[in-house]
Amino acid sequence: MRPDPAVPARGAVPAGSTARRAAELNARYRHHGATAVLERAMGDAQVGRIALVSSFGAESVVLLHMLSVLDRAAPVLFIDTAMLFAETLDYQRAVAAWLGLTNVQVLRPDPAVLHARDPYGALRLTDPDACCALRKTAPLHAALRPYDAWITGRKRFQGGQRIALDFFEDEGGVRLKVNPLAHWTRADVRDYMVNNRLPRHPLVAQGYPSIGCKPCTGKVGAGEDARAGRWRGRAKVECGIHLARPAAPDIPQTGDDTMPETDLTPASAPVIVTDDGFAADDWTGPVGAPDAPDADAVALPPDADPEALRARLDTLRLIVVEFPGFADGRGFTIARRLRLMGYAGRLRARGHVIADQYTMARRVGFDEVEISAELAARQPAQDWRRRAGWQAHDYQSRLRA
Amino acid sequence: MYGYSEFDTAFVRERAAQFRAQVERRISGALTEDEFRPLRLMNGLYLQLHAYMLRVAIPYGTLSSAQMRQLAHIAERWDRGYGHFTTRQNIQFNWPKLRDVPDIQDALADVGMHTIQTSGNTIRNVTADHFAGAAADEIADPRPYAELLRQWSTDHPEFQFLPRKFKIGVTGAPSDRAVIRSHDIGLQVVRGPDGGLGFRVLVGGGLGRTPMIAQEIRAFLPEADLLPYCEAIVSVYNQLGRRDNKFKARIKITVHEHGLEAIREKVEARFAQVRTEFGGADRALLAAIRAQFARPALPARPVAPFEAARRADPVFRAWADTNLAPHAVPGYAIATVSLKAHGATPGDAGAAQMRVLADVADAYSQSELRISHEQNVILPHVHRADLPALHAALKAAGLATANVGLISDIIACPGMDYCALATARSIPVAQAIATRFEELKLEHEIGPLKIKISGCINACGHHHVGHIGILGLDRAGVENYQITLGGDGSEDAVIGGRTGPGFAHDRILPAVEKVVRTYLGLRAGPEETFLQTFRRVGMAPFKAALYPAEDKARAA
Repeated sequence: MRPDPAVPARGAVPAGSTARRAAELNARYRHHGATAVLERAMGDAQVGRIALVSSFGAESVVLLHMLSVLDRAAPVLFIDTAMLFAETLDYQRAVAAWLGLTNVQVLRPDPAVLHARDPYGALRLTDPDACCALRKTAPLHAALRPYDAWITGRKRFQGGQRIALDFFEDEGGVRLKVNPLAHWTRADVRDYMVNNRLPRHPLVAQGYPSIGCKPCTGKVGAGEDARAGRWRGRAKVECGIHLARPAAPDIPQTGDDTMPETDLTPASAPVIVTDDGFAADDWTGPVGAPDAPDADAVALPPDADPEALRARLDTLRLIVVEFPGFADGRGFTIARRLRLMGYAGRLRARGHVIADQYTMARRVGFDEVEISAELAARQPAQDWRRRAGWQAHDYQSRLRA
Repeated sequence: MYGYSEFDTAFVRERAAQFRAQVERRISGALTEDEFRPLRLMNGLYLQLHAYMLRVAIPYGTLSSAQMRQLAHIAERWDRGYGHFTTRQNIQFNWPKLRDVPDIQDALADVGMHTIQTSGNTIRNVTADHFAGAAADEIADPRPYAELLRQWSTDHPEFQFLPRKFKIGVTGAPSDRAVIRSHDIGLQVVRGPDGGLGFRVLVGGGLGRTPMIAQEIRAFLPEADLLPYCEAIVSVYNQLGRRDNKFKARIKITVHEHGLEAIREKVEARFAQVRTEFGGADRALLAAIRAQFARPALPARPVAPFEAARRADPVFRAWADTNLAPHAVPGYAIATVSLKAHGATPGDAGAAQMRVLADVADAYSQSELRISHEQNVILPHVHRADLPALHAALKAAGLATANVGLISDIIACPGMDYCALATARSIPVAQAIATRFEELKLEHEIGPLKIKISGCINACGHHHVGHIGILGLDRAGVENYQITLGGDGSEDAVIGGRTGPGFAHDRILPAVEKVVRTYLGLRAGPEETFLQTFRRVGMAPFKAALYPAEDKARAA
């Protein structure tokens, strides 16, 4: 079978430094148009293995359409920061289906890292750069590791740091960035969408000409720049995936470059909350999976059916119920059911439980709550002790006698 | 009617004090908006388009005159002098300041009211037939059950973080005025095989972007099992309901995806476990609550003054013919006060109007008022002889609009004028329709016709069950209104069907007029209502009237 020129063989590492290759490629494609640049870039050995990174935002459909015409199986990377508009997620699926793209990869931040660094999704309020780095830049850079180049939809007319954009860029000596639409005008973008009858992002008609994460994207008024709604009121203009990275060799080409080198997880141990306040965990034995046969302590995920433990309730001494997020109330029903089934041992809620939920946790039958040291620092013992009087003012105790 | 027990009072006071501390932590910066959000939602405080909005529960729609006066006081002291009655028997204040909210909650607690669980993913205000305790066709007053459910669901530790909001509606009569088929749980009071009271239990109804009619999960549930059975349903839902997609998280989708049979099996199994916990305290409490809902003494008097006024005054007659409903006690009537004056905002009431309503309730209706899901106010126990005086008092306050159940008695959500979710305006459309048919003087000729308008697909205006439903959408930056016909929220619940392409903002009024004129031309006689005609002739003639060009194109 003839090799597909659009998908270079894996391992075909292009020769020469990225800076030199970018300069040579720019010279070679100086007089080409967007489609030609995209087409050649996807087959050029000097570019190497390549992926398109798309936000599925206001204008993304143009580049996606161009790509789909050339190769519907080309890799498309989409970052779901867990803060996107629902409309963007719907639009992403609709566009991928419409264009027949078969290799769209959805990138998400690592839940454990999110839990450790931004359990409330509030990081954006105090440090939007750190929020972008956590939710967008880190997952993208991890996903780009196997590639020699990536394609972006940036254009010169978008202004800011983009006014001198070339077709090919050296990204910190690590890989190339290809910007086929660099020289397009706003009218070119609009015409392309009209001429190809491309579906528009539903929020554009509602006043969002540039679309990022929901909390940091606002509407844009008449006469304002299209990106004026992004991080409104802050000096920030770029999320960070397109900010210049330090040149090699500061960034190693292999190894974990996904996170800044700061300490992500507090060194101290988790905290156990009871009616008496905070304490260290006194359970020293192992805590097994629900199907671990001889364990006397097991941890249940929120989608577990407690019925599976019925035969072992007499021998279990500790059951831990996981709370992945405070808005996920399944653990309250699991606890209630375990108590209804007659479990009399120690029952613990573990994870993202907030102080204001302590009353509920105690009332459904939990004995204690295990929280991370980080959460304990944010919600000190006094916040929890305020709820220690959980037996008062309880309608259920009046109704269940 | 029900008055708070010492326990209830202590509870709402404690809750208000908790919230006061939370607001202080928010204002000082100790709580971020993200952390504050679930806490304020549990207490009915929304962040809307322009400002905070506070939603106050009016459990099962029953209010005393004293409570109504307090709402007027709150509107004047902390808001802009008015409130908005919603389609779920709540009142909303649209402009409170955050630091005033704890004071408002204290003022509500003073009269036995609260804002608890009027938002958030929890069991919401339990609604009931607004004619409860007065309607002639009632088997039993549904409000004692609704009050029992209110106490059970309040702060229920298992159900504060459900996959999505959860709504319960109760009716005590076969005529469904509480729209129970569009609730997550719908309860209809029925008599069992042995003559005892109990419920027909429906589950999985809802409007919103995926409208569904509730299905029967239990043909007969004995009265004593109400709480454990409801608890079993919500508990099964809490574990099974989807949490990956907000738009698929309501129980209607859970029932749809798992099938009614599978859900019923799980609910019955859970019910068997949960039931052991309820040992009779709930039934004792129900008996005590029921005693408080005993109908006030309604002495017999001559009704002659009513007949005389009806003969003499055509304005009074028009009002009496449209705005009264039969009362269980001979000589009495249920009077509906329309909050839909032609051209006004549906459901809005000013402080002065609230005080007038409180005064006439004291004078003519045993100090009792009701709020309907149709956003009107009801005086449940008026002796017919008092109706002329009542009408005169209402007229003086601009509250005597004679349009209940007619074309201008429109349900409309707040729409883009107030709501951050809305994609189109709804109140101006309602105003335009009401004004137009008032000019035409056709309203009484048209007869019973329910128009319902929503400003986005979340369907707060219940457009799916409007005889004429209007859904405002955003099409490429332009407001566009779709019309549905034949919807019905009553015991024969039906979801309306779409006529076809939508209409621009300036074309929706002519389109509605065309639909109505088509009906007038087709009806078998003045007694055939819009809905009856629609069911007889179907969609086709209405489509032909609305889209004449396409018709010709097809014929060519």
